[in-house]
Amino acid sequence: MAELEQKTIRPHKGKSLTGYKRQKMIWAIIFLAPWIIGFLMFFMIPFIRSLYFSFYTLEPTPDGIISTYNGFQNYVYAFNQHVTSNSSFRVELINTTLDALINIPVLLIFSLFIAVMLNMKFKGRALVRAIFFIPVILNSAAVSTALGGGDAIAQLLEEQGIGQIFNLEFYLIQTGMMPWLISFIVGLIDRIYTILSLAGVPILLFLASIQTVPKHLYEAAKIEGATGYETFWLITLPNVSPHIITVTVFALVDTFLTSSVSRIISDELGNSNRWGESAAMAWIYVSTIILILLLLVVIAKVFKIGGSHYED
Amino acid sequence: MKTKIVKFVKSLYQNIHDYFKQPKTKLVWKRKSSDIMLKIIRTILLFGLCFVILFPTIQQISMALRAPEDVNNPAVIWIPETWSLMNIKISMVVLDYWRALLNTFKLSFISMSLQIISTALAGYAFSRLRFKGSNILFLGVMITIITPPQALSLAQYLYFRDIGLIGKEISIYLMSGLGMGIRSGIFIYIFRQFFRGLPKELEESAQLDGASVFRTFWNIMLPNARGALVTVGLFAFVWQWNDAYYVAIFDVSTEMFPLLTMQLINAAEGMYQALFYTGGLELIGQNVWENPLFLALISNVSALLMMLPLLIMYLFVQKQFVESIERTGIVG
Repeated sequence: MAELEQKTIRPHKGKSLTGYKRQKMIWAIIFLAPWIIGFLMFFMIPFIRSLYFSFYTLEPTPDGIISTYNGFQNYVYAFNQHVTSNSSFRVELINTTLDALINIPVLLIFSLFIAVMLNMKFKGRALVRAIFFIPVILNSAAVSTALGGGDAIAQLLEEQGIGQIFNLEFYLIQTGMMPWLISFIVGLIDRIYTILSLAGVPILLFLASIQTVPKHLYEAAKIEGATGYETFWLITLPNVSPHIITVTVFALVDTFLTSSVSRIISDELGNSNRWGESAAMAWIYVSTIILILLLLVVIAKVFKIGGSHYED
Repeated sequence: MKTKIVKFVKSLYQNIHDYFKQPKTKLVWKRKSSDIMLKIIRTILLFGLCFVILFPTIQQISMALRAPEDVNNPAVIWIPETWSLMNIKISMVVLDYWRALLNTFKLSFISMSLQIISTALAGYAFSRLRFKGSNILFLGVMITIITPPQALSLAQYLYFRDIGLIGKEISIYLMSGLGMGIRSGIFIYIFRQFFRGLPKELEESAQLDGASVFRTFWNIMLPNARGALVTVGLFAFVWQWNDAYYVAIFDVSTEMFPLLTMQLINAAEGMYQALFYTGGLELIGQNVWENPLFLALISNVSALLMMLPLLIMYLFVQKQFVESIERTGIVG
C-alpha cells in the first residue's frame, strides 16, 4: 500500500522507494555496528573460548596458560567429585532447578496479581507503585553480603542467642499448630522479601503489558455487566499471555543468576587451578537453563499459551 | 395509636422488603458489597506489602541514627535513646565514602549513557530497519540474555588482560558502549518492543516529507520514546551502581579508584580489619568495638549509605518512571 502511494505522489521519482530501502539498510548496519562488534569481540570469542576451556585442564604459568586436553573429565568432575564445605555442585544444581520450577509459577501468579491491583484506580496509587519498585533498586549482591554481616558475625550472634527480637516459629509452636503448617508459614514470611525483590521487574513488565490492552474492551465488558473477576479471566489474562513467556525467561535467568550455583562457579573461578572445571560447570548451567526454556516453550505450545488470539 | 405505629412499621418493613426483593437492587447491592470487600482486601494487602518493603530500610535508618553505645540497649528498638551521627561517621571512614561515591556515580553515569545509546540504536534497527538476517541477529541478542556472565567471565578476563585493560574503568565503558554491558540484551529487547509499538504512520509521513532515516529516528522516534529511555536509563544506572560482579572481574575498584560496592563487600567480610586499617576504631571505645553486634551495625549502616543516593535519586525520577509505564507499555 505504501508503495503504491509513494508512486502516485511522486511519479517522477519512481526509484525513490528502493533508494529509501537502501538507505534504511545502510543505517541499519550503522545502528547495529556497535552491537555487532561487541557481540563478536566480547561475546562470541569468550563464548567459544570458554567452551574450549571446558575440555581442557588449564595451568597458569608465568609464560601463559598451559592447557592439556582431557575430554569430558571436567564435566565428570563437576558432577561427581565436586564438593564444598557443606554442599556440592550437583546438589545445588538440582536444588536450584527444582526451586526455579516451583518458584517461577508462584512468582508469575504473584506478580500478575500485584500488577492487576496496581493497575486499579485508588487513592495513593502513584505512591504505592513507587514503593513497589524500590526492591528493584535495593536488590544488590553487595548489600546482601553486608546485611549477612559476614558469616563470622552471624555465627557469633547465633551463639549468643541475640539478634532475633521476635521468634515467630517459637510463638507458633506454642499455639499448637501443625508442624508442617508452621514451617510453611515461617518459610513464606522469610521469603516475602525475596519474592518481592525478584518480582519487581516481572510486575513492571506485566503492568506495562496490561496498559497495552485496548481500553474499549474493558468498556464493552463494563456495559455488558461483567464483574471484575470475569474481566480478568476473559480480557486481561488472554491479552497478557503473550508476555508471560518474556517474564518467565527473565525470572528464570534471574533465579539462576542469584542462586548458589552461580556462586559456586564464581568461587571455583577464584581458584586458578580449577578454571577448566569452572568453565565446565558454567556450561552445565547454561545447558540446564536452555533445557528448561525448551521445556517451557513446548508446554506453551501444547497449552497454546503465548499466542495472541487477536493476530490470527 | 398503637395500631397506627404497628401499621407504620409494617408498611416500612414491606417497603424495605420490596426494595430488596427487586432483582435490580439485589444486583446493585451484590456488586456494591463485593466492591467494598475488594477495596478492603486490596488496601490491607498493598499496605502490608509496602510495609514489608520499607521495613528493612526504616530499620537501617533507625540504626544509623543511634549512638554506638546503644547497640544492645534493649530499650532501643525504633527511636534512639541518644541521637548520634557517630555510626554514619565510622561507616564513611570505612567505605572511604566521598571518593567512592564520586567514582561510583561517574562510572554508573557514563556507563548508563553508553548503554542507552548502543541499545537504543540496536533496538531501533531490530524493530524498524529490518533486513534479511536481522531475525538471526536478534537470536544472538536472546543468547546474550540467557547466558550467565559466569560462563564467559574467565575468557573475558583473559581477553581483557591481553589487551591490557584490566584494572581500568575503560573496560566497563567498552562493554557498555558496544552493547555487552550488564543485561544489555534485555535493554535491546525493551527498546525493540517499544519502537515496534509506535505507529507506522509517523515513519511514513516523515519519509514522505523527505526526512532521512537518521532524521526520522532522531527527531521523531526518539522524542516519542521518552518512556523507554527513562526505564532503561534507570535500570542501567541502578544495575551498574549495584554491580559487584563485572567490577570484580575487571578489577576496576582499586586504591586509586575505590567503588562503593567493592568497598562494602570487602568491609563486610572483615569488618574488624576494615575498622582497624581505616582508623575507624579510634573513634570509639574498646568496650564498643569488641561487641559483635556493633560490627553488624556498621555493616548495616554502610549498606544504607551505599543505597541512600540511589533512593534519593529514585525519589526524583520516580514520577516520570511510573508515568512512563503508564503511557508507553514497554512490552508492546
